Amino acid sequence: MNRVPRGAQFSILNSQFSILKALVTRPISREKTRSFLTVLGIAVGVAVVVAIQLANQSALRAFRESIDAIAGRANYQIVPDAAPLDENVLLRLQPLWRDGVRFAPVIDAEGVVEPSQLPVRLLAVDLMSDLHFRDYRYAKIDVNRFLSLFRSDSIVVPAPFAKEQHLAVGSPLTLNILGRKRTLIVRGILEASGPATAFNGGIVICDISVAQRSFSMAGQLSRIDLLVPDEKLLTKIHLPPGVRMERPSRRNERVEKMLRAFRVNLFALAGVALLVGMFLVYNTVLISILRRRRDVGVLKTLGTSPRQIFFAFCGEGLIFGLAGSALGILLGYALASGILTAVGRTINTLYVASRPESVVLTPAVIATGIAVGTLLSLLSALQPSLEAARVRPSTMIRPGLQQPVRNSRALAIASAICFVLAAITSRIPPVGGIAVAGYVAVLLVVAAFSLLAPMIVTFIARIFAPLLQSAFGIVGKLAATSLPASLRRTSVASAALSLATGMMVAIALMVGSFRETVRIWVDQTVSSDLWLRPAKGLTNAPGAVFRPEVADELEKLPFIADVDRVRARTIVYHDAFVSVTAAEFNAGRDIPMITPRKARPALEDALRRNGVFVSESFSIKYNTRVGDVLELPARHGILRAPVSGIYRDYSNDRGVIVMDRKLYVRAYADTAINTIVVYLKPGITIDAARRKLERDFGPKHGAFVVTNGEVKKQVMTIFDQTFMITYALLGVAIIVAVLGIVNTLSALILERTRELALLRVTGLSSHELRQMIVLESSLLGVTSTAVGLVMGYVLSWILIYVINKQSFGWTISFHTPVSLIAASLSVTFVASVLAGLVPARLANRIALAAALKIEN
Amino acid sequence: MRISLQDVSHDYRGNEESAAVHVLDNVSLEIASGDFAVLMGASGSGKSTLLNLIGAVDRPTRGKVFLGETETSALDESKLTMLRRRSIGFVFQFFHLIPTLNVAENVAFPLSLVHTPKREINTRVAEVLERVGLAHRTKHMPSELSGGEMQRVAIARAVIHKPPLILADEPTGNLDSKNGTMILDLIRELHASERPTIVMATHSAAAAAIGDYVVRLRDGRIEN
Repeated sequence: MNRVPRGAQFSILNSQFSILKALVTRPISREKTRSFLTVLGIAVGVAVVVAIQLANQSALRAFRESIDAIAGRANYQIVPDAAPLDENVLLRLQPLWRDGVRFAPVIDAEGVVEPSQLPVRLLAVDLMSDLHFRDYRYAKIDVNRFLSLFRSDSIVVPAPFAKEQHLAVGSPLTLNILGRKRTLIVRGILEASGPATAFNGGIVICDISVAQRSFSMAGQLSRIDLLVPDEKLLTKIHLPPGVRMERPSRRNERVEKMLRAFRVNLFALAGVALLVGMFLVYNTVLISILRRRRDVGVLKTLGTSPRQIFFAFCGEGLIFGLAGSALGILLGYALASGILTAVGRTINTLYVASRPESVVLTPAVIATGIAVGTLLSLLSALQPSLEAARVRPSTMIRPGLQQPVRNSRALAIASAICFVLAAITSRIPPVGGIAVAGYVAVLLVVAAFSLLAPMIVTFIARIFAPLLQSAFGIVGKLAATSLPASLRRTSVASAALSLATGMMVAIALMVGSFRETVRIWVDQTVSSDLWLRPAKGLTNAPGAVFRPEVADELEKLPFIADVDRVRARTIVYHDAFVSVTAAEFNAGRDIPMITPRKARPALEDALRRNGVFVSESFSIKYNTRVGDVLELPARHGILRAPVSGIYRDYSNDRGVIVMDRKLYVRAYADTAINTIVVYLKPGITIDAARRKLERDFGPKHGAFVVTNGEVKKQVMTIFDQTFMITYALLGVAIIVAVLGIVNTLSALILERTRELALLRVTGLSSHELRQMIVLESSLLGVTSTAVGLVMGYVLSWILIYVINKQSFGWTISFHTPVSLIAASLSVTFVASVLAGLVPARLANRIALAAALKIEN
Repeated sequence: MRISLQDVSHDYRGNEESAAVHVLDNVSLEIASGDFAVLMGASGSGKSTLLNLIGAVDRPTRGKVFLGETETSALDESKLTMLRRRSIGFVFQFFHLIPTLNVAENVAFPLSLVHTPKREINTRVAEVLERVGLAHRTKHMPSELSGGEMQRVAIARAVIHKPPLILADEPTGNLDSKNGTMILDLIRELHASERPTIVMATHSAAAAAIGDYVVRLRDGRIEN
């Protein structure tokens, strides 16, 4: 093929620019309102994606950076499968010292500052040898007495922490670590660098001997940090059973794996806003083509190639995409801090302790925002651009051109195929814990409903026509007939709003069902009278514990019928975090079971065979059934425990293994207690018991007494906080869809200028014209709400039974939150009615004489 | 309905910066009630603008326009709407039917606006459509009609509410000669039977011949 000469290349480019100017850039700058609405629609979609990405990153960056700061220069770590690690392991490493291997024992524990209950991390190291691993820069230290750092009550704190807690060298600080309260003395203040920056500076550092002595950890470590100069040396390290070596980044990877489903779900929700934005771009480009059809026809007649027309309209999509992305990134940045609080709170409550840092706009986030906005806009512009390129010039020029909707039969068949494919896809299992097929099924359902949109708009308009006519006379009739007359445009706007409404209803149904399920579960599970907790709130932080004597003392009180000692810890199972919970099994306990149906035989089996119960999410994630034997990392090797039952648990999606306390203490040599569940004797009032326990156990053991009702209330509060962001994201999708209605109706006003002028000239008042346009938008609102309601029910089925089940492993019973759905639908409908006011204003500004000069 | 224009001028401005174009310049005109006046002139002479000012579709830059005893140039928008609704019928060159309404609904439109009882509307629509020879096309949509048929529907719509003033802007300008003649006959017949005031703008001498007199416009001024 001959090469195009350089001069000719410039000429081709030049002519493409001329076409772009004639068909795209000039009209965009002339129709400022419509162009702005489109850009805003894309911007809001991109903003949500960017904000979610930024919030996710910030929430986890703090955690990741803390782990890195604490790990220092270590390239490997020796960690126990079940904490703690025996310090004798250090002896096995001694011979490697001469090979250049450096090692540092570490105690890394969570706890709280008393009495403020401020969460704090204790990092205990060998202050002398640790300099190989971490840099400590002292801002203030008792220079005359450097060795005072090694005294049995010395701690070092970061400067910001000292400032926040009003601490100076010599100040006392009371820490509660693993249920033991000790008052230690600040003997050094660190500059905010290296490990002092971990956990936003909420860290206390001391010598390992201080921690072991103060918090009963003699002979115990959390891990050993290693600096291995050559990977070959790894083969020389021989570790005892139950202890393994891994890179420090492994923990981050596990945390990210644990959060993956949560993050994917957030992105999927953000995607809804973007999908609605795509409808907006599609409609805008389609309307542009319809409005400029005559110009396109003339250009084609004059010799413009279909390819040039195609690129010009794709260029329009690109311009909107770029402008929307740029604005979206800025909006997203602003939105992120608001979302960060919600995301951070959820990650903290349900997954890992991490204080979110400020939002940082990285090049990767900017690139994602631009790519998402631009590519999706371009994708939306493809179909209408192709259509403009294909149509013959004579057809484009001919007056009164109608843009027919494709054969409704073909659309109905395509829609039916999408429904069938969605049904098939929803049965495909998850990929890597992510419900990929579920999301595809959602897209197919959305496509199926969107394909039906033209038929639905026509149907609803036909049904409402007599009603509107009898209520509003000829104005109502005109409103009802105008929507089917511009079906290509109105059906796209309706599909966009239906999608946003449908997702809103689906989420309301899912969250409502989930909430009701959790409420029933909490009612059934929390049957005790009081809980004694070592910390405020419901956190199961490993540092917040009671010593066993507290429960023993409690059990002796005359008004107490029974106590249950509950302990929870995180272990690594199949290279992922799972929770192990210990409780006192007795055959009479009521547990919400899945298999077997009744708790009693399962409990009897567990007590007889040292068996365990697993949560539903655990059984789904690890494909575990009753009778299977789990191999769990324990203190002295592997604990083989048969599964006696599978029960419902909505406390976390990592998976929970529950065992009898006796078995747990044997397996993990851990007698600490997170919660003491208290059952009162008959006739004892909860308030009286609470007062007595608060008086006797509060100051003495740092205990907080929580009533049954308060526990239930707190669970529901956590639940509502977790799902707050979900509603916010869907609200954004609704805003985008309403923008779509404003945009479409405004475009229709521009297109119907002559017709509207005619109505005004023949006697329609400006009030009646406004009424007509608001009726049109209301009719679009009614159509979208009706379709959204039906779509919402179909989507909620996929969300509850496919996506939720595959992502989190929870069974949810279907429940319709009537008032929530009624509120969602009302919001959508009112928004769409109000959306008609903007184009109505536009319509009343039409210059009648000029408009009537326009040929059909 | 008597029409009176006193020293009427009308300027157009593309935008705020551009210079004004004087479309009508100090025009004074009296048309007696029941007259059939024909406005003639070349393209750009100001015929359509004059028609728009008479029809209260546009406002003069200077001067006064009276329809009967009412000074329309002093009325607010809602009163102008009511005036157009009750007292004026329009016929356009490009027919301008409402594309979403069928023939009967288009014709009934002016009556629907004044909340006329349905039975009366049906009777009047049937009468008018019979008169314009389209009784068999009642349920058809505008897109299913020929140019001549569309203009007959437009005439039926213009007269159904028996307005005292009918304004026609090049009613035959977009039709072939056969259909054009048919439309002119219809307008003449209407004038003869109902005696409304008719003002018709046209290029065509044949069309001008059906009026009582001709008002010639040239560069925004009346020649005779």
